[in-house]
Amino acid sequence: MNTNGHDLPQTLLDKLLLDTSPYLSCDECFERLDRYAERVVADPQHADLPMQVHLNACGACAEEAETLIDLLSGRG
Amino acid sequence: MQTLHRVRADHPHSTPRLRLVDEKRGVATGPCGNMLIVSDDLAQGIGSSVVSDSVVVAAGEEWVADLNDPGPAGHEAQAKLHHLILRATRHQVWRLRDQVVAASAGELEDLAQQAASDAMVAVLGKLETFEGRSKFSTWVFKFGVFHAGVAVRRQAWRYREVTLPDTLDPVDLGAAPEAHAQGSDLARAVRRAIAEDLTPHQRKIALALLVEEVPIDVLAERLDTNRNALYKTLHDARRRLRESLMASGHLDQPAQGSAS
Repeated sequence: MNTNGHDLPQTLLDKLLLDTSPYLSCDECFERLDRYAERVVADPQHADLPMQVHLNACGACAEEAETLIDLLSGRG
Repeated sequence: MQTLHRVRADHPHSTPRLRLVDEKRGVATGPCGNMLIVSDDLAQGIGSSVVSDSVVVAAGEEWVADLNDPGPAGHEAQAKLHHLILRATRHQVWRLRDQVVAASAGELEDLAQQAASDAMVAVLGKLETFEGRSKFSTWVFKFGVFHAGVAVRRQAWRYREVTLPDTLDPVDLGAAPEAHAQGSDLARAVRRAIAEDLTPHQRKIALALLVEEVPIDVLAERLDTNRNALYKTLHDARRRLRESLMASGHLDQPAQGSAS
């Protein structure tokens, strides 16, 4: 294994270089989250690019989305 | 689902007022101060000329109209609201319990109850912004989930120091070799871009969130800022890193016409 100090875990590289466009703020995500969650529960294939990009990039918002979808799916 | 309609209740050029209207009891002053919401039957009674776009609420959610009632109906409605919120906070605290492994069942319940209190205040303060684009219960749940998540993450980091690194230190390479971009030109270029192309603020925020893995709301609290500001800083930092690596040939240019 190369230990020359230049190595970076691939997961960290992926996080650093993640493309988070189109931009959506955390507040905008929260504003849209209830409607988004209902649509995902009704149709798991529902596509909303700005929401999906944000949820892939923001762990806190993603946690909230997962829990809300869980609740609406009757698992809460 | 029951369809309710927004109705312009005053001069067409003034700001519309919103009230929640109970079919059985007629017009009641509701919590939503910007528009008038009425049921199907009442909307037809008022006449189509004053009915604009519609709002949908689920059957059984008409009690929302009572939330600002100072009497027993209001108390009952607020109890229903608190029950909904507590269901959401308990669920979120339970899902995130691994983040607070030392917490007892009683402490988890305290977290859920405190988060429910915070969420209750938030919901009552934002009732006017509910536009019926989702079920009211879904809209309420998201406040409970949000406040519970914040509570758990803050509790998890309560006694932990948050560091703001200025540099990307050598990373522990204990994982399997295939998990690393070993000594690659890309890894070197990323280190250089972090050091040279990010502003000091972008560097500190990006490294704290992505390397130190400080939760965004914990970091926001420690820095006396908010989630939006930190996420925007991270978004800009990532864009700068990608632009730098594209310029040096380490990343492909985005396809023409893609969003930026």
